[in-house]
Amino acid sequence: MKNTCVFLLAAAACLAQAQAAEKIQIVATTTDLADIARQVAGDTADVSSITTGREDPHTLRAKPSFIVRARDADVWIRIGMELEVGWEPVILRESRNDRIYVGTPRHIDASLNVLRLEVPTQRVTRDLGDVHPEGNPHYWLDPLNGRLVAATIAERLSAVYPEHKATFETNLHAFERALDAHMFGEDATAKLGGEALWRALLDKRLDAFLAERGMAGKLGGWCATMRPHQGKTVVTYHRSWSYLAERFGLKADIQLEPKPGIPPSAKHLAEVVEAVRARGVKAILQEPFYTRKAADFVASKTDARVVVAPTMTGGSAEAATYLGMLDNVIGKLSAAL
Amino acid sequence: MAGALLFLTATRASAQSDVERYQKLEAEVQALRQQMGAMQEQHAREIAELKAMLKQQVAAAPTQGETAAPPSAAQPSLYESFKHAAQQTATGGEPSLYESVKRSAATLVPEAVAGKGADLDLSVVLDTYLYHDTAGEAGPLPGRMSGFAGDGDDEGPKNGFNLREVELGLSAAVDPYFRAWATVSIEEDGAGFEEAVLQTTSLPYGFTLSGGKIKSGIGRLNRQHAHAWDFLDAPLVYRAMFGDEGLSDDGLQLTWLAPTPFYLLFGTEVFNGGNEQSFNVSDAEGLPSHDAPRLYTAFMKVGPDLGPNHALQFGLSALSGRSQVYEEDTGTGDAGADGDTRIYGTDFVYKYDAMRTHGEGDIIVQGEYFYRDQDLDDLSGRWVGLQPWTKQQDGYYVQGLYGILPRWRTGLRWDQVGVINDVQDPEAGDLACDDSYRLTTVLDWQLSEFSLLRLQAGRGWYATDDGREDAWEFALEWQVTFGKHPAHDF
Repeated sequence: MKNTCVFLLAAAACLAQAQAAEKIQIVATTTDLADIARQVAGDTADVSSITTGREDPHTLRAKPSFIVRARDADVWIRIGMELEVGWEPVILRESRNDRIYVGTPRHIDASLNVLRLEVPTQRVTRDLGDVHPEGNPHYWLDPLNGRLVAATIAERLSAVYPEHKATFETNLHAFERALDAHMFGEDATAKLGGEALWRALLDKRLDAFLAERGMAGKLGGWCATMRPHQGKTVVTYHRSWSYLAERFGLKADIQLEPKPGIPPSAKHLAEVVEAVRARGVKAILQEPFYTRKAADFVASKTDARVVVAPTMTGGSAEAATYLGMLDNVIGKLSAAL
Repeated sequence: MAGALLFLTATRASAQSDVERYQKLEAEVQALRQQMGAMQEQHAREIAELKAMLKQQVAAAPTQGETAAPPSAAQPSLYESFKHAAQQTATGGEPSLYESVKRSAATLVPEAVAGKGADLDLSVVLDTYLYHDTAGEAGPLPGRMSGFAGDGDDEGPKNGFNLREVELGLSAAVDPYFRAWATVSIEEDGAGFEEAVLQTTSLPYGFTLSGGKIKSGIGRLNRQHAHAWDFLDAPLVYRAMFGDEGLSDDGLQLTWLAPTPFYLLFGTEVFNGGNEQSFNVSDAEGLPSHDAPRLYTAFMKVGPDLGPNHALQFGLSALSGRSQVYEEDTGTGDAGADGDTRIYGTDFVYKYDAMRTHGEGDIIVQGEYFYRDQDLDDLSGRWVGLQPWTKQQDGYYVQGLYGILPRWRTGLRWDQVGVINDVQDPEAGDLACDDSYRLTTVLDWQLSEFSLLRLQAGRGWYATDDGREDAWEFALEWQVTFGKHPAHDF
């Protein structure tokens, strides 16, 4: 009797394992990608992330547990544009999982179809600091890029797992719908459709478009929240906020870092203080993993306030999902401006 | 009558309302027509735009012509249009679709990036330091440690400026089956391969086979290049048992990543053998010649998953190989001994990630222990005694580093060799060799990913053949990397 019980338990455990194994194992380098992939893949996959959202993605180091995760991955998703250059190559090499090596269908570079900013137009030298030759890799702070990343992931997953194509597409549309509602408000999205609104926004005729459709003044969401702040300047620690600023019409040309990846110097901070005073800057933005010293120094000499917000999903309790993270960032930023 | 009247008024009224309805409908139809006309116009305009765009694209990128989709009346989805735009820019073509949208020319990926061509990574490490010790004229004491001296001919650093090396690293994916890398160390007295490895990339079941000149996977520091160490110099135990450069040899290495839920790696190596400190072979007459391979190693590493803040790895190593000693003119003529050496080792490393930037608050603690058992027989019979030449010796180090500020670390290392130091010399018989130990502190400043300044100070207490000696050792190191910076191993 006891033996039978043990046998049954073992069999059940095996079954559970087999069921779990049937799910697609997706490993993303960052939590934002993991959340988007989770939305797209739904119940078909187990999705995990290498980073937790609390660390600096530039300076992470490979470690044995990452290698084990990559070994078991069916699909690997990365931010790309050299953000993970200091650790992804080692993880992939040591995983010995040639299915997810760079360039294979199961290795998804999420930057494939995003809008890029700050792509160097001349030869990059290290004299310029940590400049990524393929452009600024912090693109996920533009909700449009989040939308494009979701579509890229859905498309690639559909190619690798055609049996789940319909699921991925349904999930993708649900995600896009949710993102659009966050961006433009539920009302406008429901009446006019997200794609039409994005197109109008990109053509710089969102107001005209809304007026044409009898929806003038009915804009909601992040777009409406940030609208009053268009043209304002924010100071940022690192060039990790460029995409957010670009999307919502803010200027983010002043950094506490004199050059990307180079720590603030006293001389540079003096110039920043000058510029902040001259331009009446209200907010200094930075991620929680950077030291606050420089930001506090500038804030103490000017009217600007320091806004610490995670730019990665999971970076704080409020930023548990990708959309939640953007909500949190935009909420904190608009309150400070 | 009244009925007829009622009927009449009713029809009249309905006729009147019919007219109104017709008028209303007519107006509506008119409006619809206008709307449709406008839509048609818009469509025609869009199609014309698309066609023009397509022509432009075909003209701009003739090779793209075949893959370009035919213009369709249906508007492409937002994603499709971006995808197209992104691909356009990636090939260096003119972005046209969203040119009006993007103020900056930022969506252009420079051709230098888009068409990199052959993927050969080149890196150069320049490693130079200023050294001073108080050991006096006989030179640095680590090379003269009792029981270990004379095993190799490492001279160690000299007081003054030392250019340790210029290390040239080349790496590339060879084809879908192999990757390869070579590290050439150029020193003042010549150049040599530190590593030249060909490695499989796609063996099944977690196996990887490497061949060439390989830095052995035993221990922890051995695999790392000198410039990746946390201190300027190797711990005394490495110096005593493998030499300053560690164990690096021609041979084959097979490793297996076990399919366990935690990290578990097994490895074994076959080498020619020839490490001067422990596996020296001589081609002198009177000594038997052993065909290579003469050195075999095995190692395992295990690393449990302790969550995002912690990382831990344990390792075990074993080495066994041929070993010979040959001395010219020992008084009664040349003498030689032949036998074998076994080394057993264990290592651990623990890393704490404080999740702040540039290593602030991070902690690394690591240590290694090696035990060497050398057993040689006097073959020439010229040494006076008849005892075999044996050595049972060990050594270890423990070190810790802490990130005091972003980019700044401080550390402490405790080194000891010869805790067990039993040497039996055919000439002198049992030698009760003493132990040597050293305490070293370090402060390093990683200005960027590519340059490092390091200040190191140590005090060592050494047992030498001339008795106990002690010395201060100071070093200021300056290290830069240029070219492609390879990703860091764990």
